[in-house]
Amino acid sequence: MITSIGTYLPTWGSAMSRQVGLDEDAVTLGVAAGLGALAGGDVSTVRRVVFVSRDLPLLEGGNAAPLLAGLGLPHTLEVREQIGGAPAALDAVLAAADGTLVIAADIQQPAGAAAVLCGAHGVAAELAGRVVRNMPVATRDAYGNRSDYADPRLLRVRGVGASLDEQGIGDRFTAVAGLGAKDAASLFEGAPDMPPTTGASSALFALAALAESGQGGRLLAVDQAAVTTASIDAGSVPVSRDQPKPQPLPKGNFTEGPSISIALPAYDRAFDAKLRLEAAKCRTCGTLAYPHRYRCLECGAEDVDTDIVPLPRDAVIYSLSTIRVPVPGLTIPYTVVIAEMGDSGVRLLVKLTGAPPASVAIGDQGRMVFRLVTVRSGVPDYGYAFYPVSADLSTTGEVAK
Amino acid sequence: MVGAGMTRFGELFEYGMKDMLPMALSEAVASVDNGFDRNDIQAAWFGNLIPSDGFSTGVVADSCGLLDIPISRLENACATGNDAVRHGAMAIAGGHYDVVLVIGADKVRETSTRTTFWDWMGMTRDSAWDFPLGLVAPANFALHAARYLHESGATREHLAMVAVKNHKHGVSNPKAQLRFEITVEQVLNAPLVAEPFGIFDCTPQSDGAAAVLLVAEELASKYTDHPVWVRGVGLGLDRVMHAHKKDLTTFPATVKAAKMAYAMAGLWPADIHVAEVHDCFTGVEVIDYEDLGFCEKFGAAALIEAGETSVGGRIPVNPSGGLKSKGHPPGATGVAQCVELFEQLRGEASLQVDGARNALAHNIGGPTAASAITILSIDPS
Repeated sequence: MITSIGTYLPTWGSAMSRQVGLDEDAVTLGVAAGLGALAGGDVSTVRRVVFVSRDLPLLEGGNAAPLLAGLGLPHTLEVREQIGGAPAALDAVLAAADGTLVIAADIQQPAGAAAVLCGAHGVAAELAGRVVRNMPVATRDAYGNRSDYADPRLLRVRGVGASLDEQGIGDRFTAVAGLGAKDAASLFEGAPDMPPTTGASSALFALAALAESGQGGRLLAVDQAAVTTASIDAGSVPVSRDQPKPQPLPKGNFTEGPSISIALPAYDRAFDAKLRLEAAKCRTCGTLAYPHRYRCLECGAEDVDTDIVPLPRDAVIYSLSTIRVPVPGLTIPYTVVIAEMGDSGVRLLVKLTGAPPASVAIGDQGRMVFRLVTVRSGVPDYGYAFYPVSADLSTTGEVAK
Repeated sequence: MVGAGMTRFGELFEYGMKDMLPMALSEAVASVDNGFDRNDIQAAWFGNLIPSDGFSTGVVADSCGLLDIPISRLENACATGNDAVRHGAMAIAGGHYDVVLVIGADKVRETSTRTTFWDWMGMTRDSAWDFPLGLVAPANFALHAARYLHESGATREHLAMVAVKNHKHGVSNPKAQLRFEITVEQVLNAPLVAEPFGIFDCTPQSDGAAAVLLVAEELASKYTDHPVWVRGVGLGLDRVMHAHKKDLTTFPATVKAAKMAYAMAGLWPADIHVAEVHDCFTGVEVIDYEDLGFCEKFGAAALIEAGETSVGGRIPVNPSGGLKSKGHPPGATGVAQCVELFEQLRGEASLQVDGARNALAHNIGGPTAASAITILSIDPS
């Protein structure tokens, strides 16, 4: 049963087609959507995460641990990283055992992510039909090489069209995922509202729309010629949408440079504190240290047991600078801020996200969000970034028509 | 201090470390009034951040003809120069040596502009936390300056006045890298580097070397009738991550180093007649005024506005042009400040501060976490 749903759209791009920022990848998108789904459910019930995407940041070296850390889930959970489009994401929900968090993320435009938490309560979804056929008009291999046969009409007629004919399930769908608006309009009379993405996440965005309507219905998920259809019962579940107003991606200048070096032992020591945003609380004097350290900042107690405590995520800018000089290996301009975290007394030095560089000032309020700090010698270096309240104008149910 | 000398500062592509070091030493030796035999040197400290031309202390020994004495390399971020002077002074004060060379050098332009930022950031940033953010050197100080402007009411114009003053001072210094005057408008309209700093708020990238010769009190008269006395030295540190610094409108490292050096010298800020302070970025010099006690908290804007830190003012700061105009090869910077003050106190400076008896040299560096100060005087006590 679908227990709760979360959706996330990057702020950049247009209402028709969002695009990711430089500090986003499928993992950060998945975290943003997953946190929405977890907000509407019981985190302690989660047993596994299924992560569906065609844009996994790494094929070797691990996406699962950053994903769990960003979601605040224990590192003992099973994570299935799965390549696929809308049918694969829908299949993952239909097959999910209780306690499964299905996340789907798309980096290719239109970008977005959605997540469904499945459990013992909520709205039932049942497989109605599935056809796995091939009409590979667009391909991308393991090395990122693409080819495009460039025949959308062939795809429509002998791809999804032929699969639907074969199954004989006609054209009566409440929601359609995985198709562009034009294809949907030509295939179905009275084209249904389309999700804001067309990849794996589109199926879960469609589930979110059905859940919000409370009416239930029939959902079609398409990936070229492959289709999965499902019946969704009437009823509503919590849907948390993190879908800020779209704004154009700021122009930046990238300067070629050497790969930014990384010391993996230092990365390893910082990992939990950095990706889970957890401070260490001294058991002698109660002072919070971020990051955790051998000797207490305040009382000097050494190597004592500390309590790991989550930091508040609301923050206020204490100071900042916008870097405009070319920095090899980075895109300028970028803004760094020192943010004071709630009433914790802890400050963080982080980058600004979700708003154009230099668009914030000392005293501005915001929240910490999970982002990609940079890629260092092939390793995605995740952490947190300051997302100003001014950019935080969520618009529930905003979807591309 | 009986001798002092330096190379010119600049993009010295034509010279290696092996050339700059003997050039600086030879000029220092030549400056000694009664003559100086380099074989008198019993030990040397080499201030240097990034070795180039290979093994650093060996290069000093080899290139300067100092193969028979102990030489140690000292690195303390941009506080290296004055910290090296401090080590030399302590070695003599402790009675271990009678004649010591302190020499500093760096070649910032020996690395490609593509790698410079990351090479130098790697030395002073936490590898896991601050390094990957791209907290380049200007941003490191801009975080302080932005907060300072926010709290103090000072403006970018006040920062610009520092650049204008130091460029004006540097014109007459034959060793300076940027010997031209600029206007407040030019500073404000220049491309931004790391807000609130534009290009003219920043030091250039420099190569250079500087050397001073220190001798025990009882030997001074052998070398000169006009020695300059090392009256006080101090070194202060601070937390290394900006997030852990409670108040970004000050550099606690400077305050600690100053307290130490003033106490040792038996002097007050008001006793200082001329100062060479760290102005890698204009906003840093402004904060220095307050940390060094030249004015009250948030009084720096009024001080620079009134021209009090120009030559001719109440407390002239950076008559050499400072890092801003003279240049900033970090290992040499603090030593070169002492070269300038050696000349100021002996009345030999290119832009002389009349009647200067007590002088102060100051560095602040790394993640604004290390400061070294030297107080010099023509009075032994």
